[in-house]
Amino acid sequence: MVFLFNPEGALRILINILTFAGIYGLSAIGLNVHFGWTGLLNFGHASFMGMGAYVTLLLMPHAAGREGEITTTGLPIIVAAFFGIAAAALFGLLLGLPAIRLRGDYLAIVTIAAAEIFRLVVRDLESITGGVYGIISYTENLQKFRPEFINNLSLNYEFAPAQAWVGMIAWISIFLTLLLLKRLNNSPWGRALRAVREDEDAVRAMGKNAVWLKLQSFMLGAGIAGLSGALLAFNYGSLETTVFVPLLTFYVWAIMILGGVGSITGPIFGSIIFWVIISETDRLAYIFFENANGQQLAGVRFLLVGLLIMLLMIFRPSGLLGKKEELLLDVK
Amino acid sequence: MSNNLLEVKNLKKSFGGIQAVNINELKFNKHQLTSIIGPNGAGKTTFFDLISGFQTSDSGEIFLNDINITNSHPYKIARMGMIRTFQLTKVFDRMTVLENLMFSGSSVSNDSLVKSIIKTKRQRNYENDLKDKSFEVMEELNISHMANAYARELSGGQKKLLELARSIINNPDTLLLDEPLAGVNPKLAEDLLGLIQKLASNGISILMVEHNIEAVMKISERIVVLSEGSLIADGSPGEIRNDKNVIEAYLGKSND
Repeated sequence: MVFLFNPEGALRILINILTFAGIYGLSAIGLNVHFGWTGLLNFGHASFMGMGAYVTLLLMPHAAGREGEITTTGLPIIVAAFFGIAAAALFGLLLGLPAIRLRGDYLAIVTIAAAEIFRLVVRDLESITGGVYGIISYTENLQKFRPEFINNLSLNYEFAPAQAWVGMIAWISIFLTLLLLKRLNNSPWGRALRAVREDEDAVRAMGKNAVWLKLQSFMLGAGIAGLSGALLAFNYGSLETTVFVPLLTFYVWAIMILGGVGSITGPIFGSIIFWVIISETDRLAYIFFENANGQQLAGVRFLLVGLLIMLLMIFRPSGLLGKKEELLLDVK
Repeated sequence: MSNNLLEVKNLKKSFGGIQAVNINELKFNKHQLTSIIGPNGAGKTTFFDLISGFQTSDSGEIFLNDINITNSHPYKIARMGMIRTFQLTKVFDRMTVLENLMFSGSSVSNDSLVKSIIKTKRQRNYENDLKDKSFEVMEELNISHMANAYARELSGGQKKLLELARSIINNPDTLLLDEPLAGVNPKLAEDLLGLIQKLASNGISILMVEHNIEAVMKISERIVVLSEGSLIADGSPGEIRNDKNVIEAYLGKSND
């Protein structure tokens, strides 16, 4: 589709889609640990991404706030990212402690509220986080490590080298995360999480601490989301709190459902399909609705995502890659 | 060592205005097969929930092996060797029968996240032993042919067997069986009874809630009768059969 409607700059668009798909896919992989593996209805995923992003950026050289106050000292990016991931995991633990004893729907309500509180607090802590003015001038921390071959390629083919580098890191992160999760999925720990998902009471009756297992799952998934949040910030080039509105959480949910809940690699494919729809339907819709304005065209993509999810629920409720026997979204 | 398995004192639990459990004193001995019977709503399952930690009591004390376990977490009580089953069978639906058993048999330290990442040789050996043990238990209960089936695909009776298998894989000292024969066909009920008797003869202390009076009379060494939350009779099957209070509770008072 990309090449059909926009042969010029096709590579730029492709890399844009793949970068977003990688970042959101990584986040959906984290959500899948929560919901697909452990059955936790987490609707505050955006806050874990936000925590990862803010902590990572603020620990590095950056500029923040209305005056663009510059901080020149900071940690190397690897260390900052490590703290960002750890902070997201810790936030998962903190949020989990009171909330995780709640079941199903209640956990969903608490997490969505906590995520909004997080966002509003970050917005109001202007002296630290830059508030509504956000954070800028941090991308160099990552881009100074950009490999030379990306620059060389970008001379011959038309694409944005900075974004290609972020996208590359996103996909490497996905690969490493999937290696870890694949290992865990076939492990006693993964088995215990699935047991929690199936029946908490039976888990307790077998002498296992279900709350602790749920907290561990919350931390792992939140940590993965934290990394994806930091990558999202590097992709945007500037960061402010509106990025982490609840809509972001629902995007990630849509991606996980499309790919197949509980499937390890499903979120990647869900994410690619989601982003192809999101970024390409404008052009497609323009053919059918010649006189529509941008906003009206933008509505078409959500229509398509909704339609696709509906069709999936009817014809393939386990998602694209989910196992029928482990069907997790029983809509009936 | 004392022969006290479980002891409850002044145990009370009410829901709204209904006194679900109100027991002054009740003791259970080790290595005995005791049944708890009573009409519907007598408080049998609530009693099980209280002693296994799934519900907290309004007042009173519970001792397991002379240790106070009042309002302990269910998993802590289970780790003390007292494992329960549920009236409505709870199996891990979207896991295979083998996984159901391996999860239940796996030790807490084997389930650790760090060990699961490192995957030491020791963990692999443990898992292999666990698999063998799971198959042993499955063979004992005649469900080994279903090892790779998802638990949700099992029939009601097979789920009962799986739940029982899961409960005994760690060689518990005590089993709390909540209606093990409910909804099971007569042939399987017969098999299950035989199994329960065998477990009892192996030295496992068993408390069983069951509505099938014939079965209860046949295998119990002692029967405790609850009605409206209170203890109304306690004795051998022979004594219970002729107890006036019990007959009244089940059939209603006679008019003369």
